[in-house]
Amino acid sequence: MKTWLKITAIVLLVYVHTAGLLMDVPRLNILNETIRALYFHVPMWFGMVLLYLGSVYYSIKYLRNPSHELDVKAEAFAHVGTAFGVLGMITGMLWANYTWGSPWHGDPKQNGAAIALLVYLAYFVLRGSLDNPEQRARLSAVYNIFAFAAMIPLLFIIPRLTSSMHPGSGGNPGFNAYDLDSRMRWVFYPAVAGWFLVGLWISNLRLRFKLIQEKSSDTSI
Amino acid sequence: MKNILTLLRKEFILELRRKSVMAGLGLYLFSLTFICYITFSLRQQAINENTWAALFWLVILFSVVNSVAKSFIGERKGVFIYLYSVASAQQIILSKMIYNSLLAFLLSVAGYFLFAVFIYNPVTDQLLFMVLLLLVAAGFSVSLSLISGIASKANNSNVLMAVLSFPVVISILLMAVRTTGNVLNGMERAASSDELLNLLAINCIAGALAYILFPYIWRS
Amino acid sequence: MKNWSARFLTTALLVCSSLSTWAQEVEMADTLRAEGKIYVIVGIILIVLAGLFVYLFLLDRKVSRIEKSLNK
Repeated sequence: MKTWLKITAIVLLVYVHTAGLLMDVPRLNILNETIRALYFHVPMWFGMVLLYLGSVYYSIKYLRNPSHELDVKAEAFAHVGTAFGVLGMITGMLWANYTWGSPWHGDPKQNGAAIALLVYLAYFVLRGSLDNPEQRARLSAVYNIFAFAAMIPLLFIIPRLTSSMHPGSGGNPGFNAYDLDSRMRWVFYPAVAGWFLVGLWISNLRLRFKLIQEKSSDTSI
Repeated sequence: MKNILTLLRKEFILELRRKSVMAGLGLYLFSLTFICYITFSLRQQAINENTWAALFWLVILFSVVNSVAKSFIGERKGVFIYLYSVASAQQIILSKMIYNSLLAFLLSVAGYFLFAVFIYNPVTDQLLFMVLLLLVAAGFSVSLSLISGIASKANNSNVLMAVLSFPVVISILLMAVRTTGNVLNGMERAASSDELLNLLAINCIAGALAYILFPYIWRS
Repeated sequence: MKNWSARFLTTALLVCSSLSTWAQEVEMADTLRAEGKIYVIVGIILIVLAGLFVYLFLLDRKVSRIEKSLNK
């Protein structure tokens, strides 16, 4: 990974965390000051989905042209994506506890996200239970692609069909229908980009770490 | 095409020869329904429509998972080698998907009948409900056939089958429960058309993906 | 750096002006902002972020060094 990308990530996140706390936000009932969660909680989900997409991309590439590195890459992306998802889940539960009154409120977005996490936990279980590395890479790539495709309706279609209390869906205050929305976008999109870059960085580290580990165990034998 | 038909015939003949497997599946379905009936002691206090839908689909899900799981798990090595020599991977997955869809549809109709007998039958629009059963059965078996292929390669395949399949079929299950809710609450047919179309779309995507991806599993 | 502080000042001014115009329709953490203690929070978060990034950079360097020594 290029150094300038890392520096971009740092600059973006420093900007996001200052502007996100200091800039003016729409004054909305119920949400109150927690509307700022948009800058800190939602990027976790976007980062998760983007990282999982990256994982699926490498899985597809692996099936077309098998190489050990692509498999490790897919695994690293899924791993970091899951970490982001867990963080998003915890922050979302904290927020829901104060806004909706209970940490788990049967919200379709929350449920969809939980299932996305389940899919990738199952992916790691599958990887753990196959011994032959070549077979493990191939089968987990197949499962990765298939499960991600099965998840798409869950993440993007069902929340739109169901009424939800989640900000940004139905008639609930999100950041779309209000006059300050464009200003919020100026913090929100950098936040997504910044966290995604950090995710890339960490998965890159994980990838290199894995490759080193395998190499050193090869040479010692 | 001819190969697929031959494979389908082979599946049916094998299935009819191993009557104990079919009987086992039927008994499984029956016991699940009976457990629902006993635990809720349903004849005395009727449950509402939504609970009926949830219970019904849970029973169907469990029995379909069990029936489809055996399409690759538990087959002897010889069967694999035989299949490998007579047909291509695409033909095998297609025949398995068609066969499993039929089996799952049969199971869900049987489950519906059992629910009508033991619990009660709140469905008024039979045709729509049958269409829904068919779509869901097809969706379940299409995605589970592939998962079963994956799980059969691993060591602890039975546990793995459950873990891998549930996240994948949840979207189908959710759609099914929602449509059933519509049907049971006496909504018009037009109200459920969105969900049915969604189900069909999910089935098509899952079927196409299973068709493309299966050769990669089969190769080993 | 000067640019940043100018930006803070303008946003602070904006917050103050919005205070008077919007009145207290919806409850927000306006006192926290008025007292300027919000900068303490911003400072804390930035320090945590900085620590995280320094850590990541050090980890990155360590991995690169091992990679180099393995490739020799």
